[in-house]
Amino acid sequence: MSIEKRIIARELWLAAARPGDIVKPIWFLLLVISMVPLALTPDSELLAEIGSAMIWIATLLALLLNSEHFFQSDFSDGVLEQWLFFDRPLAWLVGLKLTAHWLLHVLPLILISPVIALTLSVPGDVSIALFITMLVATPALTCFSGLGAALTLGSSRSGILGVLVMMPLFVPVVVLASGVLIRAMDGSETLPLLALLGAFSVASAVLVPIAVSLAIRVNIGGSN
Amino acid sequence: MRWRWFHQWGSPRWFYERAGRWQLVFGWVSLGLIAVGTIWGLGFAPVDYQQGNSYRIIYLHVPVAFLAQAMYAAMAVSALVLLVWKMKIADIAMQSIAVIGFTFTALALGSGAVWGKPTWGTYWVWDARLTSMLILAFLYLALIGLRASIRDPDQAGKVCGILVLVGVVNLPIIKYSVEWWNTLHQPASLKLTEKPTMPASMWIPLLVNILGYYIVAAYLVLGSMRAILVERERRSSWVKELVDRV
Repeated sequence: MSIEKRIIARELWLAAARPGDIVKPIWFLLLVISMVPLALTPDSELLAEIGSAMIWIATLLALLLNSEHFFQSDFSDGVLEQWLFFDRPLAWLVGLKLTAHWLLHVLPLILISPVIALTLSVPGDVSIALFITMLVATPALTCFSGLGAALTLGSSRSGILGVLVMMPLFVPVVVLASGVLIRAMDGSETLPLLALLGAFSVASAVLVPIAVSLAIRVNIGGSN
Repeated sequence: MRWRWFHQWGSPRWFYERAGRWQLVFGWVSLGLIAVGTIWGLGFAPVDYQQGNSYRIIYLHVPVAFLAQAMYAAMAVSALVLLVWKMKIADIAMQSIAVIGFTFTALALGSGAVWGKPTWGTYWVWDARLTSMLILAFLYLALIGLRASIRDPDQAGKVCGILVLVGVVNLPIIKYSVEWWNTLHQPASLKLTEKPTMPASMWIPLLVNILGYYIVAAYLVLGSMRAILVERERRSSWVKELVDRV
């Protein structure tokens, strides 16, 4: 079995051993969303207007919630150190791990978003736009939250720090995504913005793993 | 021989002594410039026909806003020097600039809010330049927090260097995306490529102040670097000598 397959298989086994880690972000997302009408108003017209943005923010938070300890266990049990000795670039292996993370922990959040949109009476075409936006934008967000986790590996009490460090870098994604949603609500063309968002995601998927691998190297070197 | 200049920077003692001398010069020059620029700007520059006297806050606001961004650029250069040449003094520069850059950003946001009240009728609007300045403040805070959380200074420096470089690639994207998102701020009043939109009697004192603030920033960075240097090198003989002399 190639190294790539083994890494993916290991991620799947680990996820199967702890199904709670997959359920918790969805649970969190549902809780945050049910707070919205309670805190604001049950008025479905207003909810339809702000619903998609609310789902987007709640998904962002849920995504950050489960990326906090992204590399921590692999770091402390020495798996990351082993990765340095594989005949593959570290950035490539990091990319694989990020992909597995996206499939296991982020994709479920995206898949459930149309159902949540329904409860906030978001119109159908907007909810489709939201679904596509999330598919296109979350790879970039996953990469950046992975970077936050890698940067804080050496922190004594990392806690929420990785999230705080990475949130400012989410701005372009959030802005472009909200642009798509506003245009979908107006019924105007969303494709150009989705293309920009996609370009940002692709660029992040290529470049951020390199920064992540640098951060991992620094932290492994520093712990000796 | 060509490299001697470069290697001297690696010597903490050389840097400490040399920076002390520069600091003295920078301190006095900036004090003079800021005194001239501020007195001229607040007392003698003409009143703006639209904003009245409230426009005079530009003599503080514009220089600190310039510096808030320039400091990040300086930090990015330090980060590159640190990661490529492993020069420790660059790490100390990065650490100093993060705190001072954050201070300037906070001052720019604060003075902007005070200026916004008479001009726009509100302290804060979610306008493009205000928002990207706020994001810049968060980036500075991220660097300060990240460094504070890592015990080993060498490791902290490298990790912060990576974050600075990721940030410098992202900052233009953040800036343009936010600009596209919303814009209502008046266009920049001083541009290098165009003739200023205000009369010379207004912009010359502003220029004097900008120069003064740049030099005061250098003064502050050098001072902070010297303090950090002494603290990190506290076990070395030259610091002990220094302490004995005092």
